[in-house]
Amino acid sequence: MSSAENVLTTKKKPSAFKNFMKYLTRDKYLYLLLLPGIVALFIFNYIPMYGVVIAFKEYNIFAGISKSPWVGFLQFERLFRNPDFSQVIVNTLLISTYKLIWGFPAPIILALLLNELRNKHFKKTAQTILYLPHFISWVIFAGLIVTFLNPTTGVVNDIIVRLGGRKVDFLASKSMFRSILVITDIYKGVGWGTIVYLSAISGVDPTLYEAATVDGASRFRQVWHITLPAIRSVVVVLLILNLSNILNAGFDQVFLLYNPLVYEVGDIIDTYVYRKGLVDSNYSLASAAGLFKNGIAMILIVTTNSIVKRLGEEGLW
Amino acid sequence: MAGSHIKRTIGERIFDVFNVILMIVLMLLMLYPFWHIIMYSFSEVHLAMKGGLFLWFRGFTLETYKTILRNPTVASGFKVSVIVTVVGTLYATFFTATTAYPLSKKRLKGRGFFSFYVLFTMLFNGGMIPTYLLVKNLGLIDNILAHILPGAIGAWNIFIMRNFFAGIPESLEESARIDGASDLLIFFKIIIPLSKAVLATIGLFVAVGYWNNYFSTILYINSRDLWSLQAVLREIITSTEEAMKRQGITVTHAQTITSQSVISANIVIATVPILIVYPFCQKYFIKGVMVGSVKG
Repeated sequence: MSSAENVLTTKKKPSAFKNFMKYLTRDKYLYLLLLPGIVALFIFNYIPMYGVVIAFKEYNIFAGISKSPWVGFLQFERLFRNPDFSQVIVNTLLISTYKLIWGFPAPIILALLLNELRNKHFKKTAQTILYLPHFISWVIFAGLIVTFLNPTTGVVNDIIVRLGGRKVDFLASKSMFRSILVITDIYKGVGWGTIVYLSAISGVDPTLYEAATVDGASRFRQVWHITLPAIRSVVVVLLILNLSNILNAGFDQVFLLYNPLVYEVGDIIDTYVYRKGLVDSNYSLASAAGLFKNGIAMILIVTTNSIVKRLGEEGLW
Repeated sequence: MAGSHIKRTIGERIFDVFNVILMIVLMLLMLYPFWHIIMYSFSEVHLAMKGGLFLWFRGFTLETYKTILRNPTVASGFKVSVIVTVVGTLYATFFTATTAYPLSKKRLKGRGFFSFYVLFTMLFNGGMIPTYLLVKNLGLIDNILAHILPGAIGAWNIFIMRNFFAGIPESLEESARIDGASDLLIFFKIIIPLSKAVLATIGLFVAVGYWNNYFSTILYINSRDLWSLQAVLREIITSTEEAMKRQGITVTHAQTITSQSVISANIVIATVPILIVYPFCQKYFIKGVMVGSVKG
């Protein structure tokens, strides 16, 4: 603490500095424990936040971040004048909106169905198996998808042919690509998605169900009046997270499944950033695209959170 | 479930039957791809090539596996991934815990500030390119630490752990404190042993993240000795013929080992470690995960 600040603080509150030192001494080990995490976050999260300034510069590898010349909003102008980028934004929004519409209710419904299973062992087994795809990497999963949708040897085409249809090259088809993304995303995530709802449901007082049964409420009515209200706040929190993630259409999945034939419908902001930045080494333009995405994401999460709180629900913070 | 002893209506019974059937169908749907791949990878190549449903292997051969395991890229990828996963998981889980514990203490001065400091990393991030430039400037290109350090400590995991620690009754620490134990001693001797569920859960999440990571290789690693298994696998899947040539699988081999068999066997090899660890950690999930508010 500088001496000037010291004087100011001591004037207002004579014991503030002493107080501070007292807490620092008393909780020195707590601060010590906290330190590595704070440093790690500073290096790997806060320094890249500063690095974002290259979106307003013309980055030169030899000059480095701080010495590259400022160019204002030039990179953003370039970005938005490029018709590819508007297509990329449209793709991103379409893919993540479809994923939200189909993928958000799916785990809620599955959790309610799992909760209605009467045999505990069967329920446990079902949960174990349904969670599994979440733990499989997107690389392996993409390998499975490629194998199953293979135009000559794939199982899906085999079934289509047996049913009298014609073989389809799914991953090269512009009309199919987005649907494949949505379906495989739900397949991979639906089981794991139930876990938060199930843990919320497990917190419900069982006497509520007993009382409802005594009163003659059907199981459907019990779900409607007891189970659903119990998971409402979890639904809201996850909806905030999902809405603020609307520009995240799933980098790994797209990156591992797309190919030049479907760029037109499948290229999303993150894959665009990757290609512009790391393949073409156009760091400033790619950072501008990334900043556009992350800036909007931040505005969205702050806004949705405050709306939700105003509606009387518990927000994210 | 409550009320199960009470007579069920016909509608409810029909629903129960329907529900069980639906779940069985879903389970089969989730398991079948893995079964298919396992059967495919053990099948004789020329029989496997005909395609179709693989409910059982056709012929039985270990030839595909032998070829893959002889391949130095797969072997070194496996080694790199094991090292990264073990070291990374210990590092990330430990320091996530040390960060979360002080944040769970109401008496800590500046707790609000530090919580916000952590929360803000969830709200905004620099993105792929600035992170890449940072790692480059740190001199971590072609360094195994580039697989481990970036993103090891994350806000979400910190908050899950903090909420867990906050739920441990203060009285458990009180008696130790009266005996003169420091916060450090309390953390290691009392808090850590009480937190196995959350440590196992976060540990598993982190481990799976490391094991499944292919992108740090694409971003930061040029030297093939330091490629992770998933990155090797990705190359095999995305550019099979080219990759097979680069892997030194010659054309004469390629006649006996089709690309699809190679993909299948590689998938099995990369998935087995997860299938082994998964059941042990599974029981901790519900106990450990308390997703909800991140406020302090």
